[in-house]
Amino acid sequence: MSRARVDHETAFLLHSYPWRETSLIVEMFSREHGRVPMVAKGARRPGSMLRGALMSFQPLEVTWSGKGEVKTLHSASWQGGQALLGGIGLLCGYYLNELMLRLLAREDPHPELFDAYAEALARLAGGGAHEPLLRSFELNLLREVGYAPTLDHDVESGEALREHAEYFFLTERGPVEADAKLGDLPLLPGRALLAMATGDFSSPETLSHAKGLMRRLIQYHLGGQALESRRILMELQAL
Amino acid sequence: MPLLDSLTEALRVLPGVGPKSAQRMAYHLLQRDREGAARLAGTLAAALAEVRHCARCNNFTEAEVCERCLSQQRDASQLCVVEMPSDLMVMESTLAYRGLYYVLMGKLSPLDGIGPRELKFDKLVERATDGMVQEVILATNFTNEGEATAHYLGEMLRARGLRVSRIARGVPVGGELEHTDLGTVAQAFVERRGW
Ligand SMILES: [Zn+2]
Repeated sequence: MSRARVDHETAFLLHSYPWRETSLIVEMFSREHGRVPMVAKGARRPGSMLRGALMSFQPLEVTWSGKGEVKTLHSASWQGGQALLGGIGLLCGYYLNELMLRLLAREDPHPELFDAYAEALARLAGGGAHEPLLRSFELNLLREVGYAPTLDHDVESGEALREHAEYFFLTERGPVEADAKLGDLPLLPGRALLAMATGDFSSPETLSHAKGLMRRLIQYHLGGQALESRRILMELQAL
Repeated sequence: MPLLDSLTEALRVLPGVGPKSAQRMAYHLLQRDREGAARLAGTLAAALAEVRHCARCNNFTEAEVCERCLSQQRDASQLCVVEMPSDLMVMESTLAYRGLYYVLMGKLSPLDGIGPRELKFDKLVERATDGMVQEVILATNFTNEGEATAHYLGEMLRARGLRVSRIARGVPVGGELEHTDLGTVAQAFVERRGW
């Protein structure tokens, strides 16, 4: 059970939406308590102390209390040290936030994922290549929420994947050696799956296979619901 | 449904109005201020019928093209893009700008499903490429959403040969570093300029 009051914990704002006339509901992702929805009372008033601090992609120090599902936010201040995101980095940030909003259960702590998220934001702000970073975060997230995909052995034969063999990836199970009777699933080279297993997304081949595979796995775990941020990122890139 | 219930239900379209306040409003209109209620009903119907978006700046107007867009006093080579009509009013009260405007009526908000289609980016492109506009000034907010909006508008407009600028941000006029929020100071440092 959650304690009634949590003081000065590091958290990121994932999303917020208007609540009543002057307040906000904020979805925080805190290091020790995971995703926690809170009401930020009066945060939409012009002089509110919370108003300027409640910004996504910045590490915040927050204090909240409450025993119900939605807590009450008492204070939030910038910790500093994280440059603002810009351009495509922002859109990638929104995508990460939406993934976490959809896949993380409330008040389920994920300190390692929290650190991976902070690291990803720092790299996005530094202008790092975003594709490898997105793939590695997606895989991290799937593992954290208990959907770790098998990437290193054939789930039928139990044998380790071979670099030069080709595999089908069965969504609910994992890789099996490619076989014509399994129909037209995409073929994945063993070396790409093995690279993903070790978190190595440096080769363009791994990256392009990982993109399709992660999309398929995430869609499956979201029950086929589309991600808004992904649609919008694609529309923006097509401009 | 009885009319009283329909009215309460209808009032809930207003932002921040829940069932309780809607009921209070309905009682107030019917019991205490029937004249005000009639005026509200009449004005609302008229506004709905008459108010539309200006074909050029997208702001609210009752004409096809608003007065500001038709004015000969404004510099047609500059187009300032703002999120909301209230932002336009702020820019106007500075008396620092003599160009024209485009009001987006929103900002990119990927988690709420607001993208380039919802914001009609194509209407802005059409406006900005009328042959008169030479510089587009992006004056969206310095929030993440405002920055994302400015970034993509900038890319899109530059690709069409327009000069694009972004309003500057930093320590407020008369502001002291000691009393300025950390984010502003940090960003003012990052965006420092030659002196
Ligand atoms: Zn106009």
